[in-house]
Amino acid sequence: MKAFILAGGFATRLWPLTEHRAKPLLPLAGKPILSHLVEKIPAEIPVTVSTNAVFAEGFSTWKRGMNRANLEIVVEDTKKDDHKLGALGATAKWISETGLTEDLLLLTGDNYLGFSMEDFLVAYRPGTPLLAAYDIKDRAKASVFGTVILKASSSGMGPPSPTLPPMGEGRSETINKKINSPLPPRGRAGVGVGAVLAFEEKPAQAKTSLVSTGCSIIPKGCLSVLLDFAKSHPDNVGGIFEEFLRRGIPVECFTFTEPWLDIGSFPAYLEAHRLLVSGPPIVHPESRVEGSTLKGSIVVGARSKVIDSTLADTMIFDDCILEDCVLRDCIMDEGCVLKGVDLNGKMLRAGTWLEP
Amino acid sequence: MRYRILLALWLFSDLALFIAAYALAYFLRVGFIFSTDFPFWKYIEAVILVAPAWLAVLATTRTFHPTRNQMTIRNALYIAYASLVGVALMTLTYYFRFTDFFSRLLLLEAFVISAGLVWVWHMLFNQLSRIILRMDPPVFPTLIVGLTRESKALIQSLNANRNPLKPVAILDGHGTSEKEVHGVPVHGKLNKLEDTLKDEKITHLIQCSDLEQSLNLLSACRKRGITYVILPSVLGIVERDERVESLEGRPVTIVSPKKTIWNWFFR
Repeated sequence: MKAFILAGGFATRLWPLTEHRAKPLLPLAGKPILSHLVEKIPAEIPVTVSTNAVFAEGFSTWKRGMNRANLEIVVEDTKKDDHKLGALGATAKWISETGLTEDLLLLTGDNYLGFSMEDFLVAYRPGTPLLAAYDIKDRAKASVFGTVILKASSSGMGPPSPTLPPMGEGRSETINKKINSPLPPRGRAGVGVGAVLAFEEKPAQAKTSLVSTGCSIIPKGCLSVLLDFAKSHPDNVGGIFEEFLRRGIPVECFTFTEPWLDIGSFPAYLEAHRLLVSGPPIVHPESRVEGSTLKGSIVVGARSKVIDSTLADTMIFDDCILEDCVLRDCIMDEGCVLKGVDLNGKMLRAGTWLEP
Repeated sequence: MRYRILLALWLFSDLALFIAAYALAYFLRVGFIFSTDFPFWKYIEAVILVAPAWLAVLATTRTFHPTRNQMTIRNALYIAYASLVGVALMTLTYYFRFTDFFSRLLLLEAFVISAGLVWVWHMLFNQLSRIILRMDPPVFPTLIVGLTRESKALIQSLNANRNPLKPVAILDGHGTSEKEVHGVPVHGKLNKLEDTLKDEKITHLIQCSDLEQSLNLLSACRKRGITYVILPSVLGIVERDERVESLEGRPVTIVSPKKTIWNWFFR
């Protein structure tokens, strides 16, 4: 199996934080979002990260700090949003160019997956596409994702289909041996596998709140379908599961209850920050915090100074200076200088200088 | 450079016009002769001394601002106010210089002629300068941020009135399928901000939506020395009854309950 991570977006909704860095490289609880994802993938699975020409340098720097030999960056030769190959198009291009003949673990780089990747891999039955889905408990919100309808249930996270073998049974022995971990027992709280009845990509009216999480396994036998489908739908990653079902290829769904975060907007990023930084503030050793009150989820990056300020649920990147400020639900990019200001719910561009 | 030359021409022409208006008032009152009782050269010397001060008073009304529409009653009142101050200064200067008085009717005529001539000239010059300032490449290429009903109306108005601020690009924080608005191209989302500011050599940015990004737009403008403008509609003020005032020395935007005309002066 090989892992392919899609990180070629331009992340316009997280502007200005993504002005000079890709969304998967945004810090979350002290390290890039992408690092959280790659660290979950078993060490023996080669990982390829696909990005665009604009952010290529950032990914190369990130790779050097990852200390993983089988990690590769492929750069899509696009510098503009409207010139992109499309997520599925980029995947198909890579498959064609490398002549991939193994199963494909396909991931999106801006998602935080709380579940164990080993559980997910164990749940995979060779030859059957598998996708990970999460119940967001809100059908209205589900309409912006790919929604998954299980055979056993019309909404929410249903129990595993009775027609399927228990988890682990008949599934990848190779992977079981490699990861050397006990199989998750059938019925283990929060984890299950079910057969997919239907998949709808961004439906106008979602019939379920179970949504695809950008984590899937495409069996080697199905890669030709992907290549064929990508020609006409280069942007529709989720659509490949609709295509499998349309062609009568069964698709399975791995469900879980651990956190899943699609970090696509400022509120989602802040929510992810709050969820993952629930303990004491994370203050970089090279930073200085003096006479300040830190409440909730706080991260202070390298070489920053926080003096006589009050911070609540706030993330401060590297090289920032705060003096006599009150910040709530804010994210400050690198090199910001704020003196004597109160801010609420703001993303600040790198180098912002506010001093009344 | 084009703007500076135009501004210099405007200031010098205004000075000349002020002196000419007073000279005309002299001849209308005295007759087209050089009177020995009321020597023209003494009179015009006082006018020349007063002219720069009058111009400074006129400049404080911001009438020379490139975006000021000269064809408004408010602007006419500003010019009349400066002309009135000019008459007062002229009277004082003449008295202090020559310890003498002259015809009061002449002062009245000088006021009417100077105010009238300057206003008419300002309207003409404004039309001319707007054409010159908008010639390609425009002197004030302007970026519109946010594609809304208000921004579309603004673009139309700026173009229809040949405002010196010429919209050359539009960015929208949420993205839009529209490719252009009234001939102005939509460049994309805010991730194109830096490229647009640089490539289009933007001098003015007008924020028409995306309130949450005001700090970041302002930051980008400050770094590049760009003038930042925000529409009141971004703050939800759409009735056009707002005004900018000072509250303990701090500029504030005020929206008061609608009252009579007298409230404009006293509330």
